[in-house]
Amino acid sequence: MAAREPSRYLARALPRAFAPSARPQAFLGRRNVSDEAPARRLSDQLEDLETSSSLSAPVSDADAKSFDPIARSKARKTQLPRSRYQFRSPKYDRGPLHPHQPPVPSDPSSRLFVPGPFALPRAEQTYNSTVASDILTLCYVHTPPGFKAPVKASRLREWDDSSPYHKNRPLRGPRGGDVLRLLRKPIKFNNIPKIERITIHSYVKNAASDHSGWLHVAGIAVQAISNVRVETFKSKSSVATWSIVPGRDTVAVKAELQGENMYHFLGKLIDVVLPRIKDWPGVKGSSGDSSGNITFGLEPEQVALFPEIEVNYDMYPPKMIPGCHITLHTTAKADKDARLLLSAMGIPFYGKIIH
Amino acid sequence: MSMHTTLRRTAATLPSSTSTILPSSQIITSQSKSTTFVCSQCRHATLLRRPKRPYTFTQLITLSDGSAFTHRTSSPAPVYRSTRDTRNSLLWNPSSSKLMNVEDDEAGRLAAFRARFGRSFDASVPAAEADPDAKKAAVEAAKAQELADQEEEDNLLDLISSFGQQEAPLTEKEKGKGKKH
Repeated sequence: MAAREPSRYLARALPRAFAPSARPQAFLGRRNVSDEAPARRLSDQLEDLETSSSLSAPVSDADAKSFDPIARSKARKTQLPRSRYQFRSPKYDRGPLHPHQPPVPSDPSSRLFVPGPFALPRAEQTYNSTVASDILTLCYVHTPPGFKAPVKASRLREWDDSSPYHKNRPLRGPRGGDVLRLLRKPIKFNNIPKIERITIHSYVKNAASDHSGWLHVAGIAVQAISNVRVETFKSKSSVATWSIVPGRDTVAVKAELQGENMYHFLGKLIDVVLPRIKDWPGVKGSSGDSSGNITFGLEPEQVALFPEIEVNYDMYPPKMIPGCHITLHTTAKADKDARLLLSAMGIPFYGKIIH
Repeated sequence: MSMHTTLRRTAATLPSSTSTILPSSQIITSQSKSTTFVCSQCRHATLLRRPKRPYTFTQLITLSDGSAFTHRTSSPAPVYRSTRDTRNSLLWNPSSSKLMNVEDDEAGRLAAFRARFGRSFDASVPAAEADPDAKKAAVEAAKAQELADQEEEDNLLDLISSFGQQEAPLTEKEKGKGKKH
């Protein structure tokens, strides 16, 4: 019954229903006896509707002539208050049912609006002009016409019906652990791996045992090198040797870089900072989470090599400059592709490359 | 840093010692006095915080080979000249002979010196390497060792100056020795 409701309303609303016909509910295709009851008869309800539109009402000439907004604004002695001509986004989001809705974040009048991008970073230009097409060429796999890829077995295993309890069970996970890895599709023009975002994370162990200055310095240092406000995090795990209690101690700062900031940071990191690190062998070849995100760490003295920290090195207490972990999130589905992308962008890898 | 704290000014206006038993009239008067503006966030209205963005400057980075590019940074210095970057570091230029720490030892003097006085880390390496330069250096070192055995009294300069003259017989001797072993 509920499924038929909209179509009945539609039949009521359509002007075609005004025409007297033998079967007014022809749209339904089905009649109920209850529809013929006098309280629910469609023809009775349609009589309540007005037949004329309100727009067709005539406007008097006096009203039309008195409407002159330009003359009114010129006759005004003082400027209107700002609230009369400038839209201000509401300060609070009061839910979808509230009549005063904030504009979308991409609207410049929104409180959440972030302007930009202001520049086309060099690293992004390098990616677009060189790296993307190189990766596409390197990852090209030729298949002769008429080639059909062999059908792979399903990754989830079926239950052998040795027991009657196997009936209607959900499928079993893969052998050797129930983690389903990301599927690596062949790289085509529309899924060339690219850098998605960069996370700079710094765990400050002294923030719990000592004063909070450690956290402030770490936050400002990470903000200086990344151009992004940092978020602070409380500890989730207990570390007795550092006297860290979960849920109580704020111990970590994190900055998430995306878009323009990310490429500026990446260019600066590769071109200026990493070459200045003494005896740096590169990023370890076995790093990565096997789904295309590569992480490496920088020691405090290596973080101090960033030009932003170097330019006013005296501002930071030297022992409080934090080390950090830098995670490069790529859209690659496997570490192999991510390493190909990052080494093309200029990050060296060393040791045994594990794919 | 995003350490947001909701402002709870109502708590401050409440009497501090609520545990002590007070006459009811006093409590009523103290509560009626509190006309503080309540500024805490309530559940049915989410505050739309303006995103905070640090101020950024445009900086020109000049690499060591003279190439330059601009980027946005929080550093106020307009120009950054780098002395060590991808253009002149060995890790990014593995085939550059300029950056590689190669000693040019054409006369074999360094090899000879190492053969005589070299100890653990700079002892002359065995001639297992396929590198022709290294082989040559090793052969020379062996010769020098033999010479050193013969004339220990001579100083080093004499030893090296007499290198070319005794080359032919020495190589034969060396070969003979090598066969014996």
